Amino acid sequence: MELATLDQILEGKGKEPFDVIEVLQDIQQTYRYLPEDALCRVSEKLGIPLIEVFRLANFYKAFTLKPRGRHLLTVCMGTACHVRGALRFLDEVLFQLAVQPGETTEDGAFTVETVNCVGACALAPVVILDGKYYDHMTPRKLRDLLNSAREKDKGGL
Amino acid sequence: MNKMVTITVDGARIETPEGMNVLEAALEAGICIPNLCYIPSVTPLGACRVCIVEVVQNGRSKMTASCTLEAKEGMVIRAHSEDIIRARRNIVELLLAEAPNSRAIQDLAARVGVTRVRYPMRNNSCVLCGRCVRVCDEIWQSKSLGFVGRGRNRHVALPFNKRPEFCKRCNACIDLCPMTITPCPGPMKEPAVCGLCGSQLSMAEDTPDTCVWCELGRGFQCARWQLKGVLNTT
Ligand code: SF4
Ligand code: SF4
Ligand code: FES
Ligand code: FES
Repeated sequence: MELATLDQILEGKGKEPFDVIEVLQDIQQTYRYLPEDALCRVSEKLGIPLIEVFRLANFYKAFTLKPRGRHLLTVCMGTACHVRGALRFLDEVLFQLAVQPGETTEDGAFTVETVNCVGACALAPVVILDGKYYDHMTPRKLRDLLNSAREKDKGGL
Repeated sequence: MNKMVTITVDGARIETPEGMNVLEAALEAGICIPNLCYIPSVTPLGACRVCIVEVVQNGRSKMTASCTLEAKEGMVIRAHSEDIIRARRNIVELLLAEAPNSRAIQDLAARVGVTRVRYPMRNNSCVLCGRCVRVCDEIWQSKSLGFVGRGRNRHVALPFNKRPEFCKRCNACIDLCPMTITPCPGPMKEPAVCGLCGSQLSMAEDTPDTCVWCELGRGFQCARWQLKGVLNTT
């Protein structure tokens, strides 16, 4: 996929203050996080106080100010998943990747996040890797999943 | 000239220009309604709820913050009814549990007669009154800081947690923060209440016409009045 540069994003999207969310989304997609410089530019370009941009970036979970890994692994911690052992499963995830929730693995491959129910409770426990849902997770399935993602990573690079 | 409206606060008839809020009108007239987040000539936020009053309408009363209540012709306000005193004490008690290391809040406590804190101590360094945020935005037109985060994670922050270059270094945010006025280092009787050290209370009692000189509302002859009410009711 062609990724737009910051200038392209700022040129392409509107220049009104209310366009800010859209612009931030594009930046998030391009860089996988919201870099400080980019937010300063957004603030100048759209005429929004920097603190407002910062506040928005903090408010929405879809935005992060820390660089995210190439893959985003979201572990559901909702009620149904909890009952089916999401807590233990999360431990497994954190153990296999050696990170804490919200952190990124050293090689920059995975970022782990937790979420409260993704609306797929029948499939509990659920994880989402880059937008794709994986059901009835077990430590084994997880290992396979991570491995295949790593393989693809290597092939793709 | 501004149109004037007449309201009644604690039985006193007050004339005030239209558009003023009840808290301003009362303070102007020398009736002190304790307040924390209100700053003269800055948009009221209604964050602390210390300034609550009862508005009497058709024989019914409802409690609301007076700083965000616009004075309307004929309004009847009770700022020191028993209910209000009790509710306000409770609010200040919560503030005290949140941040006991603030002179401003200790003063408030002394003023409204809080003698104990029944809530778990949090010892925070901010009570989210928004004084810093509003003064920076409105008086200094700088918008260097603001509220960030949501729910219990809401807090005051600078962009990327560092002072931006457009900050005017006026220090107004710090001067107006109730947390920057540290209490005297004397012993606290209860783990959190220092107003009980006596100096403020006895000053208000022994020397007529002096108030407790609360840091945030200096100069109003309010404390004596209110403490009297407190002493009578407890
Ligand atoms: S010192 Fe800076 S942050 Fe504080 S009120 Fe002044 S301009 Fe705003
Ligand atoms: S930092 Fe101080 S002035 Fe600002 S919201 Fe917190 S307590 Fe209020
Ligand atoms: S609880 Fe996990 S999908 Fe609903
Ligand atoms: S002064 Fe009115 S709510 Fe704080």
